[in-house]
Amino acid sequence: MAKVVKTQVEFEGRMLEQAALLQGPQPPHWPQEASLEVVGTSALRIDGFERVTGRARYSCDVHPPGMLCGRILRSPFPHARIVSIDASRAELLPGVRALLTSTNAPAIRWKDGKLILDSLLSFEGDEVAAVAADDAETADDALSLINVQYEELPFVLDPEEALQLDAPKVHPSGNLMGGKPRVYDRGDIKRGLSEAEVTLEESFHTQTALHNALETHGSVTQWIGKELTIWDSTQGIFAIRSEVAEILGIPLNQVRVIAEYVGGGFGAKQETGKYTVLAALLSRMTGRPVQILLSRWEENLSTGCRHPTTQRVKLGAKRDGTLTAIDLHCVVPVGSYGYAGSVDGPARGLYQCPNVHTGLYAVRTNEGPARAFRAPGYAEGSFALECAMDLMAEKLGMDPLELRLKNYADKDPMTGHDYSSNKLREAYQLAAEKIGWSSRNPRAGQTAQNAPLTTRKRGLGMASQLWGGGGGPPANAVVKLNPDGSADVITGVQDIGTGTRTGLAQVAAEALGLPLSAIRVTAGDTRDAPFGPTSGGSQTLSSAGPAVRSAAMDAQEQLLDVASQLTKLPRERLEVRDGFVYDGRSPGQRKSVAELLGAFDNLMIVGVGSRGPNPVGYSLRTFGAQFAEVEVDVETGRVRVLKLVAVHDCGRVVNPMLVRGQLLGGITQGIGYALTEERAMDRQTGRVLNPDLEEYLIPTVLDIPEIDANVLNQVDPHTNNLGAKGIGEPPIIPTAPAIANAVYNATGVPFTSIPLAIHQVIRKRSVP
Amino acid sequence: MRAFEHLNATSVEEALAAIGEDWQTRLVAGGTDLVPLMKKDVIAPSRLVNLKTASELANVDFSDEAGLTVGALATLDDVGRYPPVRRHYRVLAEAISVAASPQLRNMATLAGNLCQTSRCWYFRNIFFCWLKGGEKCYAADGENRIHAIFGGGPCYSAHPSDPAPALVALGAELTLYDGKGGSRSMPVESFYALPADDRRRETILRPNELVARIRVATPPQEARGVYLKAMARGVWAFPLASVAVQGVWDGPMAREISIVLGGVAPIPWRAKQAENVVRGQPVDGGVARRAGEAAVAGAQPLRDNGYKMELVRTLVERALVSAAAPQARHHPVA
Amino acid sequence: MAELAAKPPSWLVPRGPGRTAIQLVVNGAEYTLAVQPRRTLLEALRDNLHLTGTKRGCGLGQCGACTVLLDGKPVYSCLILAIECEGRRIETIEGLERDGQLHPIQQAFLEADAFQCGFCTSGQIMAVKGLLDSHAEPTPEEVKRAVSGNLCRCGAYPNIVHAGLLAAERMGRGR
Repeated sequence: MAKVVKTQVEFEGRMLEQAALLQGPQPPHWPQEASLEVVGTSALRIDGFERVTGRARYSCDVHPPGMLCGRILRSPFPHARIVSIDASRAELLPGVRALLTSTNAPAIRWKDGKLILDSLLSFEGDEVAAVAADDAETADDALSLINVQYEELPFVLDPEEALQLDAPKVHPSGNLMGGKPRVYDRGDIKRGLSEAEVTLEESFHTQTALHNALETHGSVTQWIGKELTIWDSTQGIFAIRSEVAEILGIPLNQVRVIAEYVGGGFGAKQETGKYTVLAALLSRMTGRPVQILLSRWEENLSTGCRHPTTQRVKLGAKRDGTLTAIDLHCVVPVGSYGYAGSVDGPARGLYQCPNVHTGLYAVRTNEGPARAFRAPGYAEGSFALECAMDLMAEKLGMDPLELRLKNYADKDPMTGHDYSSNKLREAYQLAAEKIGWSSRNPRAGQTAQNAPLTTRKRGLGMASQLWGGGGGPPANAVVKLNPDGSADVITGVQDIGTGTRTGLAQVAAEALGLPLSAIRVTAGDTRDAPFGPTSGGSQTLSSAGPAVRSAAMDAQEQLLDVASQLTKLPRERLEVRDGFVYDGRSPGQRKSVAELLGAFDNLMIVGVGSRGPNPVGYSLRTFGAQFAEVEVDVETGRVRVLKLVAVHDCGRVVNPMLVRGQLLGGITQGIGYALTEERAMDRQTGRVLNPDLEEYLIPTVLDIPEIDANVLNQVDPHTNNLGAKGIGEPPIIPTAPAIANAVYNATGVPFTSIPLAIHQVIRKRSVP
Repeated sequence: MRAFEHLNATSVEEALAAIGEDWQTRLVAGGTDLVPLMKKDVIAPSRLVNLKTASELANVDFSDEAGLTVGALATLDDVGRYPPVRRHYRVLAEAISVAASPQLRNMATLAGNLCQTSRCWYFRNIFFCWLKGGEKCYAADGENRIHAIFGGGPCYSAHPSDPAPALVALGAELTLYDGKGGSRSMPVESFYALPADDRRRETILRPNELVARIRVATPPQEARGVYLKAMARGVWAFPLASVAVQGVWDGPMAREISIVLGGVAPIPWRAKQAENVVRGQPVDGGVARRAGEAAVAGAQPLRDNGYKMELVRTLVERALVSAAAPQARHHPVA
Repeated sequence: MAELAAKPPSWLVPRGPGRTAIQLVVNGAEYTLAVQPRRTLLEALRDNLHLTGTKRGCGLGQCGACTVLLDGKPVYSCLILAIECEGRRIETIEGLERDGQLHPIQQAFLEADAFQCGFCTSGQIMAVKGLLDSHAEPTPEEVKRAVSGNLCRCGAYPNIVHAGLLAAERMGRGR
């Protein structure tokens, strides 16, 4: 019988109450010592063939017959009102099939009380009109023929200015989201600061970063009768399905969302874009499929960014390093339609400190929306907190690692709960050994090899990582065991490049007792799949994996029933391994699954499974540490990362090769965040200056140092039935502060803002 | 991109016959600058004339007597990998090696590289700036960390080419053909001119002209040069600042010297005062440092680009030390 | 010079701005298609020929996802007009695998896990092919330089370099 249970689920730093429907068996945990044959191996990607041959079908590759090309006209101003819009010349252009503007678009409510094509525009790139034409050239020409008269309105970009009473209003209710800051208190911050023997106060700044997944956002839409199919470049097919159904007022089962392959997301592809709905509307108007793929320029204006932060950190400590207070005041501009990440997460949870106060001001501005970007909030918050910790260590005359160990959180400081598992101490130790931390010079800028005349100075730095990734319900799976011994695993997740399909196939193979080659995984299609979660919050595997195991177990139990009835052997004696059913009493006796099931025509076993609740009374977190060695040329301002050692703890590792890929990827993006990436905004006009990849510089192959990527692979005994937690986001969290701390160690100059780009390093060096 | 008509020129003559008196007709060779400018609607020519079909322009030749000749269609890769270039024109080979990316070097021609226009982020985006015919340079009091510290006003673009400073330092000459059957030759240095009200471009190229070839005389036996570039990432970025140094050396003594800066002025920028410090002197650390100081004399940094002065000082000093020491290990990325 | 340039231009016939027929040779096969002169090779491959293995990442020659081989050399197909590719040899990712048999470079990318989302992968593989076709035994530095014009936002770079070297080793053995 299906059973409803309630459970706590963490998502990107927020705790949510979730109801879970338990279907199928709930398998016991695989303990550390379980001898697993497929889980834990570096199996090659089961969809690798498609990806290396160009056969993988991304949403931008879909081309239904008769497809029209859609394009969007966007606001050239950060804040403006459309006075008039004349699309008559565009409509007359041969090959133009449909056109939508604020004058003829249906009154679909969008966020912030605005319409999908509103006459009030609140950032550069806000949608003004949409056109569908026979080909791209015609659509481009049509856009250039739409004549719009704008009334430019005063705009605001700076969050402090936006909080002033006379500031232009980005939203009628005011610019401070929620009308008040998000505040957290633990203990008594005033007392904590007054009890401190050493205090530190510093302001930190992090920049606006752009996701720049190589596949831009885009959708292809097609109506067949009343049913809408959307091929979307998304991280959450079910999220898109429910949002679109609601927006268009149609039943869930008449929206099908497909994302077979996704060219990266990194957090920006978790919600429905206007382009998707506009494509659907244009499709309905024309009766033809419509494709809207954003250009890189549109992508970088309108689909999200990592918001910048200004963070004032106050730390108080006893002379022995015991923290008495952590105070964080944080101001975050979230743009228009954006939201803030959990910048306060690390300050609340990373250290055992009795007195903590955090205040987070999320402020609307006339910029494109801030969206989740790999470890949203935590990457920014860790930069400030972990750099502040190094400054505090310097003040105390303590080793930075020692200071962290002194304030090590053995229990979750926010809840007092035990961690389901926590190997941060081991991570520190292994990483310190590997980088040669003992050779680090304790006095910043004064190492032996840093002779006064040398312009190249070397240093070591480190930082810690805290994140969620425990996952939770709901997530479901279906396993079909075919008569030839092969199996289909049907899930409602999507593989955005992390290797989800492969990891789930390994779980299924292990749980079914079939070889990996016998498993096919369906992902990225809502129509026939049970529910799967959005690929965000590092939770895909820890949510969907246990559901797959549950479904596989259900299927295997049925297989054993069948085998027992056919062989007349007691069910308890039978076990399934590597595609064979064995008699446990006489291991020589075996029969292949294909032979067993093949005896009947089309005997198909269908297993159903679900993700169970999270354990009560435990805090599910992931941990890690990164240590960096850098060389700073103090004359040219160039910072080179020479080596980066990463050790992370995400519980059981289902596929070491794939996990290593996540580490390499997170660290690479972290290096870009630390050194080169920064959206440039013209403050006079509110326009983005580098919405492309020419001056928004993401790392190339030559910017990446030797990366020593490690995971501890210690099974989490309390979390889900796999003992595994997520690893998608953690690796980006400590990279920037580790590098900044190493630069501090090399130069003796504290760097309190990123990126540590050449112009910043030289400027900082010149200012005493 | 806006619509245009297209024709393939199968010879220089055809190209010249098709060329117009205004910028509505554009020649396309590599296309790596032109196509993005058209895609971003910075320019919208009504006609393109493809030069790639005029194979006679594809030559790269060298002889001791004639020196190096590079035809209009020779790509950066063709030139950079040409053994005589590596042997006799190291400063050029190094400049090419750190320009753009492998794919762009396979496509882009050296001639086109010299003709490329501003990489200013106002010019390349939806700002109707002075260089496009507008009223003001937005960079002057805007976001100007990538902009010029020399020669700025009315336009503050920073010259993006790596090979151009090298060719100026080498004293290279460039030949233009025009649609009326004429031609003119000039030093590459004189091909560039600061944009002015009556010529909002960085070169003296007229709409009816094409760059037919680039010539560089064979340097004397004792000549030596290096290129040094500072950029924001390890590869594939425009110079924040760069320097090409080419000298004729008598041991460590610089009998003749050219020091040309990239990325710091709207055009390649000759550091004459630095040359004066070095010329006739044995180059040691002290002279090199003084030359670095002299190189930034007269700089007028904007709000955000004062760091380029530091870069220029350091690059000039380091490049001179490298160029003066024949055996010194030199890497063209600072 | 002078007398040649004075020739009347009337015999020069421009094509466009509307659609015009062009012939392209892609992976050894000849195609006739009708395109406007402003259509890039990338758009012609993807939208006319439905060879969608070549990807558009930026459309401005700033990412490398659209890398194909043109007369054997890696180029950005988003920056070259289709009409200018007549008579030239175009190789795309679709030309590598035969009858389910991966090209050694593809096999190496698969085994070295030299990709995550896979969107830059076609371009990376073509850049490596351009190198190995002319340079059988590259050093790690040469492999890095060869893919330095191909961004991988997922950050698989160390594995991409490894794949390039692995492929070179195997292809060398095959010679």
